[in-house]
Amino acid sequence: MAGLTLKNIKKNYTKDVCVIKGVDLEIKDGEFVVFVGPSGCGKSTMMRMIAGLEEITSGELYIGDTLSNDIHASKRGIAMVFQSYALYPHMSVYDNMAFALKLAGTPKAEIDQRVKKAAEILQMTHLLERKPKALSGGQRQRVAIGRAIVRNPKVFLFDEPLSNLDAALRLNMRVELSKLHQELKTTMLYVTHDQVEAMTLADRIVVFNAGIVQQVGSPLEMYENPSNLFVASFLGSPKMNLFESQLVGLEQGSAVVRLPKGITVRASVDAGRAKVGDKVTIGIRPEHIELCAEGDAEGIPARVDLTEHLGDIVLAYIEIPGINEIICMKLPANMTGLKYGDAIRVKFPESQCMLFDAEGLAFKRLKK
Amino acid sequence: MLNKKVLNRALVLSAQYASLLAFGLFTTFPLLWAAAFGLSTDGSVAYRFPQGFVPHVADENGVYSIGVTFSWIHRVFVEIPFTQYFINSVIITTMAVIGTVVISVLAAYPLARMKFFGRNFIFVAIIVTMMLPAEASIVPNYITIKNFGDFANWLQLVLTGSDEGTWRKFIGLNSYFSAVAPSVAGAFGIFLMKQAFEAVPQDLIDAARVDGATEMQILWRVMLPVTAPSIAALGIFTLVNTWNDFLWPSVVLRAKEMQPLAVGVFNDLTGPLSGSQNTLMAAIVLTVIPVLVFFAFTQRYFISGMDGAVK
Repeated sequence: MAGLTLKNIKKNYTKDVCVIKGVDLEIKDGEFVVFVGPSGCGKSTMMRMIAGLEEITSGELYIGDTLSNDIHASKRGIAMVFQSYALYPHMSVYDNMAFALKLAGTPKAEIDQRVKKAAEILQMTHLLERKPKALSGGQRQRVAIGRAIVRNPKVFLFDEPLSNLDAALRLNMRVELSKLHQELKTTMLYVTHDQVEAMTLADRIVVFNAGIVQQVGSPLEMYENPSNLFVASFLGSPKMNLFESQLVGLEQGSAVVRLPKGITVRASVDAGRAKVGDKVTIGIRPEHIELCAEGDAEGIPARVDLTEHLGDIVLAYIEIPGINEIICMKLPANMTGLKYGDAIRVKFPESQCMLFDAEGLAFKRLKK
Repeated sequence: MLNKKVLNRALVLSAQYASLLAFGLFTTFPLLWAAAFGLSTDGSVAYRFPQGFVPHVADENGVYSIGVTFSWIHRVFVEIPFTQYFINSVIITTMAVIGTVVISVLAAYPLARMKFFGRNFIFVAIIVTMMLPAEASIVPNYITIKNFGDFANWLQLVLTGSDEGTWRKFIGLNSYFSAVAPSVAGAFGIFLMKQAFEAVPQDLIDAARVDGATEMQILWRVMLPVTAPSIAALGIFTLVNTWNDFLWPSVVLRAKEMQPLAVGVFNDLTGPLSGSQNTLMAAIVLTVIPVLVFFAFTQRYFISGMDGAVK
């Protein structure tokens, strides 16, 4: 087992095409870290560099205490699970799992014991004789994970391992991966574009965009205190509502902003570095928008555009006159009375609003 | 009740089978005719239609009836060194198949999977050779082979001091090597294997690399088994082509004891001084049978074997 240290890692494909623009990251031994970001953000490239499948253009990669930039993939002590499973079609499940050990010249008895143990952990002892084509998607993924486990790697790398599974199976495997991590206590690195997977699996999340690490932190910390607009809108489903607005007032412990049509909203942030008149973006998560009584003076008048009943919750898409964005709000499941065209009043609680400056950087939130 | 749909389907099916049958007959009729000819007592019925397609035997009174005689097949082995030709054919074909597969695989793998300077240029240069008619290369190849022989001679003289000229027999004219050398590095095989290697998902190679395989181990233990159908197809294709090749072996193999079936049978049994046509036909049938049998057994390798690798 080992941690990982990345020091100013860069990757250029050609002179001008730079996909990773200097990544510094420290991953502790035994941690489950998820790289998340939209397609093409460089997260898979980052992982392939750690695996040794892509050359590192510049920077230093330490696995444990060893500088590993130029160490061959097989000598790095990592094991990788691919999105496409990448099972050897001509070998049985047993041989697939034993392949790496055979190449390493491990004695037969030990191979046998390690493969059987891994098969037990993954509950697939009965599949060992089968060829990959006789397995279902979930079973193939299990074999791919088993192939990684038998090697007793220092670090596990998962490259979008659940993307090819159907929704129910994905949920199952997610839980199993979590359990596996608890059982093995090995460092695991996981790449996904699915922010739900990231939120549920990770000890820490690393959000990538355009080859740059946007933010690193625990899932809840990231959710509550996104450092910029990208992270704010990327994490959370449905995503955070964001409105362009103008800063009109600074008070002790809160900022006052004005939305179009003179609607004013307060956010409890420390906006000390901004000045009145600055352009800002205010954000509020769907679950934090409150429905208020008809006569409430604080309420902002709005109109219901669409409701979605998901069983456990109701999603209402509303429109505030003068604001062009469609606003999403999450309501309890018993709010089934809302329908298209209903006039309602909503409130943006001061403590839940987040504020971002013109560059998209968040102002520090103040807890009251 | 016969409804329109069923009728339609029956019509379409019978049309399909009828055309397949017609095509089958069209392609096999020379062989069927040769077989009937070779199994008949003589050629007197062979040129009549359609009786010519059925073997006939004559009784003591000269009356022909349907029947089979193996006397001509026996004559083939008596009149010409058929066994020697057959052995030559087997040796030449085996060498060609192994040589072609080895060279195609080793040349195609880097072209498909490694990045190096001039890769595309090399591939285009290989493909361009396909545009030359095979006949155009006969003279240069002949000269090359002759020089190979001279070189072997010289080498023998220098290394052993003997001027017997026996080394010439290994790589010069009239050697098995000379019969297969020009064709083993064929563009077709390299192209076919390159396509096959390119179709293998990158993840599979990466997985093997992470598992600790060297480049040669990846080729040998992952790529080759995965592309086995393509290799089998290339092998079968090369086998049939080499077995049936006439022109090049007849140019470089002038010694009778080195000639393959196609050349030997043609030289011995055709032309103004040849024996009976029945012997020729029997020899032709005997020449074709091994290929047919081989083909029947290896057909299934043409089916792809990539299922289950990814997704």
